[in-house]
Amino acid sequence: MNFSEFKDAVISACGDAGITEYELYYQAGESTSVEAFQHDVNEFAASRDGGVCLRCIVNGKMGYASTEALSAEEARALVARAADNASVLEAEEQVFLGEGGQKYEPLRLQPYALPSTEELIAKVLETQEKIYAADPAVVDGCQTQGIAECNEIAIFNSKGLDLHYENNAAGLIAVGVVSDGKEMSNDFQIKLGELSQIDTGALVRKAVDSAKLKLGGEVAPTGQYPVVFSPEAMSDLLQTYASVFSSEAAQKGLSRLAGQEGELVASGIVTLVDDPFHPENPMPIHFDAEGSPTRRKNIIENGRLNTLLYNLKTAAVAGKKTTGNASKSGYTAPVAVQPFTMYLENGSLTEEELLEKAGSGVYIHSLDGLHAGANPVSGDFSLQSAGFMIRGGKKAEYVKSFTVAGNFYTLLKNITAVANNCHLPMAMGMTAFGSPSVLVEGLSIAGK
Amino acid sequence: MISREICQRVLQKAVSTGADYAEIFAENTVNHVINMIADKVDSINDAVIAGAAVRVYKGLRSVMASTVDMSEAGLLRCAESAAEALGQGEAQIDIVLQERLFGDIHPVKIVPSSVPNQAKVAILKEGYFAAREYDSAVKQVTGGLLDVDHNILIANSEGLYTQDRQIRTRMFISAVAEMNGETQTGSCAPGRRMGLEMFNTIDPKNVGIHAARQAVTMAGAGYCPAGVMPVAIENGFGGVIFHEACGHSLEATSVALGQSQFTGKLGQKIANEKVTAIDDGTIPGAWGSINIDDEGTPAQRKVLIENGVLKSYMIDKFNGRRMGMASTGSSRRQSYRFTPTSRMTNTYIAPGQDKDADIIASIAYGLYAKEMGGGSVNPITGEFNFAVNEGYLIRNGKICEPVRGASLVGKGSEIIQNIDMVGANLDMGQGMCGSSSGSVPTNVGQPLIRVSSITVGGR
Repeated sequence: MNFSEFKDAVISACGDAGITEYELYYQAGESTSVEAFQHDVNEFAASRDGGVCLRCIVNGKMGYASTEALSAEEARALVARAADNASVLEAEEQVFLGEGGQKYEPLRLQPYALPSTEELIAKVLETQEKIYAADPAVVDGCQTQGIAECNEIAIFNSKGLDLHYENNAAGLIAVGVVSDGKEMSNDFQIKLGELSQIDTGALVRKAVDSAKLKLGGEVAPTGQYPVVFSPEAMSDLLQTYASVFSSEAAQKGLSRLAGQEGELVASGIVTLVDDPFHPENPMPIHFDAEGSPTRRKNIIENGRLNTLLYNLKTAAVAGKKTTGNASKSGYTAPVAVQPFTMYLENGSLTEEELLEKAGSGVYIHSLDGLHAGANPVSGDFSLQSAGFMIRGGKKAEYVKSFTVAGNFYTLLKNITAVANNCHLPMAMGMTAFGSPSVLVEGLSIAGK
Repeated sequence: MISREICQRVLQKAVSTGADYAEIFAENTVNHVINMIADKVDSINDAVIAGAAVRVYKGLRSVMASTVDMSEAGLLRCAESAAEALGQGEAQIDIVLQERLFGDIHPVKIVPSSVPNQAKVAILKEGYFAAREYDSAVKQVTGGLLDVDHNILIANSEGLYTQDRQIRTRMFISAVAEMNGETQTGSCAPGRRMGLEMFNTIDPKNVGIHAARQAVTMAGAGYCPAGVMPVAIENGFGGVIFHEACGHSLEATSVALGQSQFTGKLGQKIANEKVTAIDDGTIPGAWGSINIDDEGTPAQRKVLIENGVLKSYMIDKFNGRRMGMASTGSSRRQSYRFTPTSRMTNTYIAPGQDKDADIIASIAYGLYAKEMGGGSVNPITGEFNFAVNEGYLIRNGKICEPVRGASLVGKGSEIIQNIDMVGANLDMGQGMCGSSSGSVPTNVGQPLIRVSSITVGGR
């Protein structure tokens, strides 16, 4: 049974159950991935999946149930499960389904053709050969991977919403593994886009150079220093703390930005933007998970919290309009709140000027263990880091296996300079994060 | 789920281009989570995952194709695409499937999917309100009750046709406490490879109290100081240190590709002689346990490290080919959508001879890590990190004031040499472990241990 047939079966089952308000959220995808190791294809995977989430309003409560098994029998079971789940909900809140007939931004998507399996394999093997040839320090263990996928989202509801979205994505991943005879290190680089347009030489160079950078290196000395976060490290921090800008977290007492709209929450040089149509986001989308139109907005403007991010439910609680940030972490998940492309706006300095301004301190190139060492509720973090000492306003020796500790809410206020090198380092899906390099005062480094 | 006859035809199609091995993995899983926040049942996440994957090998090449179409025609198409992707060739093997039953070492008494929502809500509320009512400093509580009914079918070209049903239950409570303008969190999330009978031995109230006590303790704590010091890590989830510092680097996933600090070190001393570490998928009812792995190999108990000497890796069939070694029953995948690879099950440092009191008394100045959080590792460099959710300073051999915001970082191969005291009281903690084959349930465990020197990330 395809989605269209399943949709009809669910509509009919809802009718039989006396349910008049319902919504189907369908997500499907096809993907091909090729992985090469030691000059040959090691793994090939092709998948085709798709599932449906039903939301329906029963006695004023929103029940959810999802399935991948699209059959007439399952359609009836799905409606029964969603209705049963609704019956035990207790939260006394208004529930909403998106209205039909809303106006959307035109989609500025430039679709490109997906590679054939043969092209994908050829490109992956080409990347693999270039890695081995790139440097004498390269050792066995360098995987290269190619992916090609097509994703589809559809929302259909009883209020006239009938939206559909499709997007293709292809890309290459290069893992560089290097050794200096004493120890090994690695790095990986991802590039999305039309495969024929990807410069595999540059991709490989970056993976190998970044891996070589991490060979050797001392543990940084313990102390308090000015810290420069690279675009990669700062983007990771923004991703980890994205939930503090969610009205849902604020309303549930899980963000300290509750009640702070209109207040200064960051240094005056900080402007934080969410833009679903950012040119570097590979999956720009014109509607959110509730079918509301998406749009660009400043979350923080010159240090002031302009708005939190809202969906229909949280906006109603706050007496506001949705910002079009309803999200689902997967098709089965309840509707929540997320940014699309959240990034810190560029400042005026180059990264070199930022380092000069820092004078001495630590440049943090990468952060690890963000899922464990950072607490979005308290804002506290203590994170494994690697990077460089800053001496005389320049990057000096490589340092690793140290931690940087502080508090995200305080960090926002202690940003003293923002560089002009903003980019989105890991833009893979619908939610992407970006930042320029930033200079922060008052953080603690723990090392030797 | 799929008949033996259909599996046989699908596998025959899968090997039609010369594969030397083929496998079908099919599943029908129901995930059910009840969530509470602000004292109310807030949402229920209820999902059926149903699909199949066909894998074929030829030498060191592996191909997988997956589908949600479980009809014979859908499966045959899936097998055909896998066979085509493998390349050109003729069928080399004939497939004759025989059903095999491996038995159930984790019998379930109360199947959660057969229990009405209201009864599960009642259990969750016991835990939830125990946290809520623990202390007036507790300002918010979130809670959840998860049950998973994971039915798998595995058939392969070696003649295997088998099925298994894996039922798991977990409660998670997280509390937010506020004191003097400081907000801190505490959490507790016990899980078992059991049904709701799990709560016959684990009182839901204790789950809530545990989370709330931790949040309140940490809200009143100062920041942990930074530096290199000795650390005593408590039993239970403290075992995450071995999981990150060493466990991942012993998975064939990284060993086979030379991407591990422990590649080629079997028989060598890699850890302090106090360290014996075991991965045991056969512990009845334990969160990380299985009857068979996701390639149909029965679960095993493996000694990974014995008195500091590396004895075994954790190996799946495909990586085992590259290593020239047999599977250790370690192949796991989150779902049919993921290509399986070697993973941990219940992994722990075995009990030693040291007395807990002696371990604490031996530290003049250091950290007592009572509760650990999650972490991560890069198996190539061995650099790992993990969070300390509840820590206390040790001064002159005595546990003193609580400290917050700490993490521990180091290099696995160095830190396992530094585990120089091991207590006798083994306990385990539950986690979801993420890797290339997705998120799978694993236990970590250990008795109280001393790490003689490690970097404590504080401020």
